[in-house]
Amino acid sequence: MIETARISLVVIFAVVGLFFTFVSATGVIRLPDVFARAHTASQADTLGAGFGLAAVALTLGWEPATVKTVLLLLFIFVTNPTAAHAIARAAYEEGIEPWTTGDERR
Amino acid sequence: MAASEAPRLLVPVQRSVTLRQTVDYAIREVLESDADEPTVHFVSMATWRAGDPGTNTDRNRAEDLLEDIEIWARYECEEAGVDPETVDVETALIGLDEYLFSPSDYAELLTSYAADHDLDRVIVDPEYSLVGHTTLIQPLEFELQQTDLAVEEAPVDRPTSRGRLVSRPNPARFLAVFGTSFLFYQILGGFSGLFDLVTGLATAAVVAITLSSVSFYSDPSLTESPKRILRGVVYIPYLLYEIIVSNLLVARVILDPRLPIDPRLTKVKVFVGSGFPLTTLANSITLTPGTLTVTAENQELYVHSLLPFAREGLFDGSLERWVRFVFYGREAARFPSPRERGDTEVLQEPTASTTAVTDGGSIDDTPECGSEPDDDSEPQGGVDR
Repeated sequence: MIETARISLVVIFAVVGLFFTFVSATGVIRLPDVFARAHTASQADTLGAGFGLAAVALTLGWEPATVKTVLLLLFIFVTNPTAAHAIARAAYEEGIEPWTTGDERR
Repeated sequence: MAASEAPRLLVPVQRSVTLRQTVDYAIREVLESDADEPTVHFVSMATWRAGDPGTNTDRNRAEDLLEDIEIWARYECEEAGVDPETVDVETALIGLDEYLFSPSDYAELLTSYAADHDLDRVIVDPEYSLVGHTTLIQPLEFELQQTDLAVEEAPVDRPTSRGRLVSRPNPARFLAVFGTSFLFYQILGGFSGLFDLVTGLATAAVVAITLSSVSFYSDPSLTESPKRILRGVVYIPYLLYEIIVSNLLVARVILDPRLPIDPRLTKVKVFVGSGFPLTTLANSITLTPGTLTVTAENQELYVHSLLPFAREGLFDGSLERWVRFVFYGREAARFPSPRERGDTEVLQEPTASTTAVTDGGSIDDTPECGSEPDDDSEPQGGVDR
């Protein structure tokens, strides 16, 4: 019984992770400029990877390797926004003006 | 340099390696002119605000420093064979009732202090530093040149030309880095026996020796650091909740065929203190979907926001409050939001054509712009630098 619940939770987490990764990819394609794309490329992905890793941790069960997945998760939460910030900042310093509604699509 | 008029000096002070020499230089300067009643004011500018929790030690430290300076000044007078009573040495702790962040804030405070006490010359310690790791001398000089104060840098011999990020060896920092890396090693190794303990000790020693001098910019303390870590642990679930909620909202918008986005660059002035707290806040803002920290200037964050609701959330300042809570405790969390303070600004105002969206349909009844536009906000194109 508990085993079934665990497996269903693993499936749910994996699917939710997949969903957010899909949203992230869609956003990168659909959004108009580098700033908007940096949003979705990093953030939706954070949750995508997060749920994916949660599924991995649940599959592994109570093991040392599980701790490592949690650590991985922590690092993703630190590095992902840093990367997004670096991209946005580089674009800003290049003088790229953020797209606003009404502008031509780039 | 000797003027017939009595010199009236203002010296901003902060603990630094060259402070003693700066004090000596200021005293020598006033003694050289043989005018009556020369005046030197040594002022310490508060980087905190009086009454904020946890600032008592800062205050005591500043007051100790000012006492030391009075002793040094008297000593220097006696060395020069002058009666210390003939030199008017005053010390003051200023800026207690406000938060000061940028060099212009400090310059403003110094200028008004100088005006109040009729001082006309400023001597700055070349290592003078209040804001993060940078010395304040160049920006401060620049700001003060706008006023009619004379500014000069005290000529001092620096003991070494050390890099600013590198602090002197310090047992507390060493132990903190050593402990953290040892624990991390054991977690990765799964706490598996003697071999890991020995190699872990060796690795942690190498890490601590090489990195402990750049890992902190203030000493970890036994009372404050654990409290901060605990409050950080409380913060994480809240941050996760925020991330999930706004992720769902952003996902809905991205998957919407009409793509109803309304991106704007905004500027928010935040009050969390420079360095690590600011980084934490900027990273939390970026982690929350819909808002992206583009760049930070002093305490002003340029945040790109994708949707009006994200902007609202940012201007409500809940993340700022949480970061204040994590770093300074519950008392500091009670603080007006950026909107209430008037520290928000939408840099790209909606233009007349906003409603006529060129691709992907129109914005339905979402408000044009997340907040009441500030009076002084720049028009479109204000982001060019």
